[in-house]
Amino acid sequence: MKKTHIIAIIVIAVAIGAIISTISDAATYADFSTAEQFPNKEFQVVGQLNKDKAIDYAPEVNANEFSFFMLDNNGVEHKVVFEGAKPQDFERSEQVVITGVMAEDHFRAKKILMKCPSKYNDGKAEELIEITAESA
Amino acid sequence: MTEYIGENLIAGQIGELLIIISFVSALIATYSNWKISDVSIGDASWKRMARSSFRIHSISFLGFVAILFYLIYTHAFEYYYVWRHSSSDLPMRYILSCFWEGQEGSTMLWAFWNVFLANILIFTTKKWEGGVLLVFASVQTFLMAMLLGIFPFDLQVGSNPFVLLREHPDMLGLPFVSNPEYLKFVEGNGLNPLLQNYWMTIHPPTVFFGFSTTLIPFAYAITALWKREYQAWIKPALPWTYFGIAILGLGILMGGAWAYEALSFGGFWAWDPVENSSLVPWLVLVAAGHLMLINRKKMRSMFSAFALTLFSFLLVVYSTYLTKSGILGETSVHSFADGLSGQLIIFLLFYLFIALLALFSRGWKFLRKTEEDAFWSREFWIFLGALVLVISAFQITLSSSIPVINNLFGTSLAPPAEPIEHYNSWQLPLAVLVTFFVGISQFLKYKKTEVKPFFKQISPALIIALLGTIGFEYLLQIDAFFINLLLFTSLFAALANADYFVRILKGKIKRGGSALAHVGFALVILGSVLSAGNKKIISKNRSAVNLKFENNENANQENVMLLKGDTVLMEPFYVTYQNRRVEDKYIYYDMDYLKVNTEGKYEKQFSLAPFIQLNEQMGNVPEPSTEHFWNEDIFTHITYADIENLDSTALDKYREADTVKMQVGDSLYTSNAILQLIDFERSINMDSLGLLEDDIALGLNIRASTMEGESFNATPIMVIRGNQIFSIDDEIDVLGIRFGFGGVDPETEKLSVLIAEKNRNSSDFVIMQAIVFPYINVLWIGCIVMVLGSLIAVRNRLSKS
Repeated sequence: MKKTHIIAIIVIAVAIGAIISTISDAATYADFSTAEQFPNKEFQVVGQLNKDKAIDYAPEVNANEFSFFMLDNNGVEHKVVFEGAKPQDFERSEQVVITGVMAEDHFRAKKILMKCPSKYNDGKAEELIEITAESA
Repeated sequence: MTEYIGENLIAGQIGELLIIISFVSALIATYSNWKISDVSIGDASWKRMARSSFRIHSISFLGFVAILFYLIYTHAFEYYYVWRHSSSDLPMRYILSCFWEGQEGSTMLWAFWNVFLANILIFTTKKWEGGVLLVFASVQTFLMAMLLGIFPFDLQVGSNPFVLLREHPDMLGLPFVSNPEYLKFVEGNGLNPLLQNYWMTIHPPTVFFGFSTTLIPFAYAITALWKREYQAWIKPALPWTYFGIAILGLGILMGGAWAYEALSFGGFWAWDPVENSSLVPWLVLVAAGHLMLINRKKMRSMFSAFALTLFSFLLVVYSTYLTKSGILGETSVHSFADGLSGQLIIFLLFYLFIALLALFSRGWKFLRKTEEDAFWSREFWIFLGALVLVISAFQITLSSSIPVINNLFGTSLAPPAEPIEHYNSWQLPLAVLVTFFVGISQFLKYKKTEVKPFFKQISPALIIALLGTIGFEYLLQIDAFFINLLLFTSLFAALANADYFVRILKGKIKRGGSALAHVGFALVILGSVLSAGNKKIISKNRSAVNLKFENNENANQENVMLLKGDTVLMEPFYVTYQNRRVEDKYIYYDMDYLKVNTEGKYEKQFSLAPFIQLNEQMGNVPEPSTEHFWNEDIFTHITYADIENLDSTALDKYREADTVKMQVGDSLYTSNAILQLIDFERSINMDSLGLLEDDIALGLNIRASTMEGESFNATPIMVIRGNQIFSIDDEIDVLGIRFGFGGVDPETEKLSVLIAEKNRNSSDFVIMQAIVFPYINVLWIGCIVMVLGSLIAVRNRLSKS
């Protein structure tokens, strides 16, 4: 066997490895009910902040815990606890994407990505800006 | 028809005319260059035609650019683009950033560099002119089409930056549109606050300049395959390739510097899809440049050399597609509004088709003829190195293309939840291989190397690198295997190339370009490993209150709350939040970094002022502040601050008082002081307080001591008048505390003390994060050395030819 063949085989093997790892490391978009069925799997849930319910952040107690209620795109509501500081301007968010796992009574989010409406055009054209917050 | 007042319509009309001229002349230049190459070389009349049409294209396009600049400069908010991306209070130094913030502007920037390069190439390409300029003119035709903004058959072709604000689809029907004097009150929307940073004025032009240069080797390679000049193209294309490597590399790292300085994710690289899409063409260009080197005299791996050269440009177009089509949507901040995505796909597919056609109709035969390189030869290891770079590029492209994959196959994959870990798990081992190859290949000879002297030559670098790695491990206590390994190989690569430069090249700068560039590259990797791989978050939450997550191992402990005046340990520093300053639209938070000296007293080392940039339209942006030392950076940023109650009247109001039961001698903490109830105060001046003769008055002596050791006194008084009890409050204004004496509990004999604090006391806290980046300067020095080395190599090649 020639060197070129050995190299070619290695390259193909590595490339297949890369494809598999991309698929396996990718998170999955889901709603709360799916996330509840697989409690230890990581999901990304897209939804909206429920502005009528409490948004709790008490930095003097714990600067790294922040909780709120979110409605997913099917309208299912769940409490979300984020292990990090509350993102600036969180109340203004229109759309929230959270990444994390479902725990017993709440969704534990590692990452929050939110879209806020910017204030042009009297809110007519919905231009969204994105803010991410990450924990750990 | 409303007559609008104060609009400068003529400029936009000239602009629209110029873009049409630019488009048509680029098309004519494409056709005439095709004709030069098609007929015998040197067909004078077609050549004249090609050159003059490209000249017209250049002039009209530059005019087009100048008009947009002029409109931004004069705050002509009647134009949507100007209104959208600038405002009249924006400092002039950001005018460049306004220019390319939008979709159209960034296309114009790219086209501008193409024009610049093509006008040099007209004079330097000689017999390659027809082919190279054909490619350039055709690319310009595509780019101009993206700026046309015309609607044939209800189909949008391009978008034009001279659309009027009142005619923009988003504005239709808004009240101001029918107001003839709307310009009197319309104010621009302004520039994204994140882009208001000096790196942002130079990073995009540099990256786009790099993007443009990748078109040169592409154009040469296409011409070479077409004209069957399979080897001769390398010589003229090579200096441009290395020039592109230098510029694009510099541009990417400038983006890193910006991210490090202005973004608050705490680092210079986050594997963001947009960062990735500029890195990938660079990796492929580096691989292509190295394959061109080993194929310049003898064809060994010509097929790969062609393929990679062609793909480095195609990946630039793909990267533009990713960032401009809006497909990245939820995964990146950089995405633009869609609309051009169809045009970008046609652009990409067109050149992909041309490249594959050329490659497979002409290049196939190289694959079959490939001759085996000797194991101990430089070309073998260079080839392997290029291969590793391609694998690295493949992995990055694949993972950042998840939205594209979803679109093509209807899957619903989300990008990796832990992008940094995901990419690092691949890129660290690949970087180990690349740096190792960079270390050994200088000492390998072309064709065949004697093994014994080779090992003798690389052994000093190997030994010193091993010792250095052990040293760093001791200093930084690194335990991750691949980090250690990469530390070793990158140190080895830097030392081996430095050694080669000093011992073999005798320090001759002129010939040392490649060795220096490799030293620089190795230092960039070394600096990344040392700083990002060993970054230490020192703002650990040490408070005892962290109960809710006690069963969670990953509980986040990276943010700390600081009250104003608090001093908190962040090893090896103590950090005090001193003050909050509001200047214009920035809120600065002054943080003093202290150390305890030998006498046990705090000694100030330095101050940092991370800040929040207030921006009504686009959201408030926290920006970090960093103290630089030669061997480490201390990075500080605000993760949360209450900026709602900032106006002074709200801050000066007292909140509702708390009633506390105390005895003489008791003490108590408030947000900014320790209170002690010293004793009763019996000698009370009744007259000055306006009390009656029959009143009974009793005071309390309260002392408030601050953390800094200052003391203040207050004396609230309880008055008993008949069967009424009331309190005469006393306050300590400096501390914002008010005291009242509410009464005595007859059973327990405890005293009711009413304590109220001003809003200012509690809202003056921040949540902050502090990170130490060790040896990050190695990265920046590496970047400069790499760029200089590449440019020296380019110069050396040019002077040889």
